Amino acid sequence: MKLVRDVLDKKLTDREKCEMGRVDGLLMRVGERSQPRITHIVIGGSTLWMRVHPALARLSVRLARIWGPRRTEPITIPWSRVESVGKDIRLDVKARDTGALDWELWIARHVIERIPGGGSEEEEE
Amino acid sequence: MKKILQLTLGIVTSVGGFLEIGSVATAAQAGALFGYKLLWAILLGTICLIFLVEMSGRLAAVSKHTIVEATRERFGFPFFSAVMLGMVLVAFLVLVAELGGIGLSLQILTGLGFRWWAVPVSLAVWLLMWKGTFSLIENGASLLGLVTVSFVVAAVKMHPEWGSVAHGLIPTVPGDQKAKYGFVAVSILGASISPYLMYFYSSGAIEDKWDTSYIPMNRIIAGFGMTFGGFLSMAVLIAAALAFQPRGISVEKFEQAALLMTPALTHWGFYLFALAMLFACLGAALEISLSIAYFFAQGLGWSWSEDLTPSRDSRFSFVYTAIILVAAVPLILGVDPMKVTMLSMALTAATLPLAIVPFLILMNDPSYLGGHRNGWISNSVVAIVILISFVLAVISIPLQIIGG
Amino acid sequence: MRLKGFLAGPLLFLIACKQPTTAEKLDSVRSWLETAGMAADAWMHHTTPDRYTRQTLELSQKTLAQLAADLRKSPTPGIDTALLDTVLTRSGARLTEMARLVQTRNSPGLRGQLDSLRAEEAIIRRLADAAAPPE
Repeated sequence: MKLVRDVLDKKLTDREKCEMGRVDGLLMRVGERSQPRITHIVIGGSTLWMRVHPALARLSVRLARIWGPRRTEPITIPWSRVESVGKDIRLDVKARDTGALDWELWIARHVIERIPGGGSEEEEE
Repeated sequence: MKKILQLTLGIVTSVGGFLEIGSVATAAQAGALFGYKLLWAILLGTICLIFLVEMSGRLAAVSKHTIVEATRERFGFPFFSAVMLGMVLVAFLVLVAELGGIGLSLQILTGLGFRWWAVPVSLAVWLLMWKGTFSLIENGASLLGLVTVSFVVAAVKMHPEWGSVAHGLIPTVPGDQKAKYGFVAVSILGASISPYLMYFYSSGAIEDKWDTSYIPMNRIIAGFGMTFGGFLSMAVLIAAALAFQPRGISVEKFEQAALLMTPALTHWGFYLFALAMLFACLGAALEISLSIAYFFAQGLGWSWSEDLTPSRDSRFSFVYTAIILVAAVPLILGVDPMKVTMLSMALTAATLPLAIVPFLILMNDPSYLGGHRNGWISNSVVAIVILISFVLAVISIPLQIIGG
Repeated sequence: MRLKGFLAGPLLFLIACKQPTTAEKLDSVRSWLETAGMAADAWMHHTTPDRYTRQTLELSQKTLAQLAADLRKSPTPGIDTALLDTVLTRSGARLTEMARLVQTRNSPGLRGQLDSLRAEEAIIRRLADAAAPPE
């Protein structure tokens, strides 16, 4: 499996086909004698921006400290949770439990639901 | 039966959604300054757009990816971020122009300046997106946009010399004002070949759950819809050539353009122009706002669907809300929408390679298109037109500054 | 290639702010005088509403005033600057008067002003032709 082509930047969905973001990075273990193996999928702003320029990654961490769900560490999901790799990558997790939807929920609660007609996350459940 | 209905709707919405302030302003300027001589630019732009729109639909139907999704996955985030930056910046400028167009239409109808309309117009556009569904927006705005067919009526009523019109379809170099001619040609190409249309179309195909059985229908919608749309632009140019060129009026301001159809259609012409621009710019503003929000949502893996209540795709909703609000600011400050229009159209042409080159690579990638990859005709037409647009942009813009 | 695309931005900004030549300014004067004439004519035929017509005449007058000021700052040799200045001042005043006549719905008065405006426009046309660079 070609890592870059088949996994990186692919869309992630959870058990309930909920969209969880994209594979922004990969954690790998490189052994002395064995092939490099993916250990974790990484989702998160700073990882993503690091691929463009480290200064942007630092900026995104700084912004994350003052606004939003105050999560500065990227989300890591063990590779063992991957159910299938196809058009999207299906994970055997619940999106909310991983923290992947923290920003989505934060913006929903603090911005969108304050505007009339925005609806409510809880209502829909 | 359902497919035939969808087909008709598809063509109708393409026609109704074709004209916006960019295509009208550039066509009107072209007709006023150079008569029929720039009709070839509209023809070239429209042909290229037909191919691009068809490709957008085909990519979505076969790969079940939108262009944005496929670009991120195929090229990786760093390259994608560069494309996103360029496309979003230019699209934002076009959005400012469209909101300004709505404001200007209301200005000539009511007498109240467009600066006063900036906030109500932005709110109205935002509300339509907040409360509306994809179908409502796509179909509603475009059906209203059919008022633009009045441009064809006006042009025909003015009895153009059809031989001269046909001549205009062949590219010629003018005797004087070469730099200006090149600049207006570039602006027309930028107005016709708008990348946001492609992103919107492919997202729509995914929202409507297209599969490979839609490929023939996609070809017909792209072909007929964009062709009729191109005719509308040409009608504006012809009408401007007959109404303004003999009088030596160069169309710099919206107030001048408003007189376009009055020789042919008297007071109907005045009100139809205002309404046509109002609806056309409204449709475009909605499409562009959605396209920008799609770029963020699809590129970064957020949920996105115009059919969901806003809190179900909160980041997507937040992006279009923020964009529309920010786009109102230049207008409140009094920035001339017509100037923004001409600037953004030329900028679109200059940045086309950024959008189209990765897109062409995708359209030839078997892992996305399988057996439905591009043929040599599609590749050649698009590549040639984009090259022409870019070269013209790079040459004529400095010349316009230095020479003139 | 992408870099060129981004360079286009500042270049385009420059182009939007580029200074026009005398011939171009005179063409612009003609264009606005014709616009005013077309709008006034349309109004007399009940084609355009009062408010739009008045605002277009006022816009024409304002633009004309700006162009006149520009032309005064940089006079071109070979052009009768005194005549140009006189005609521009007269036309400006006439446009203001025309806007007032639209406001008071005085169609016959407007007709008279329009004829004079056309005559002034003809003078500007001659001056513009004289200012145009040789082919």
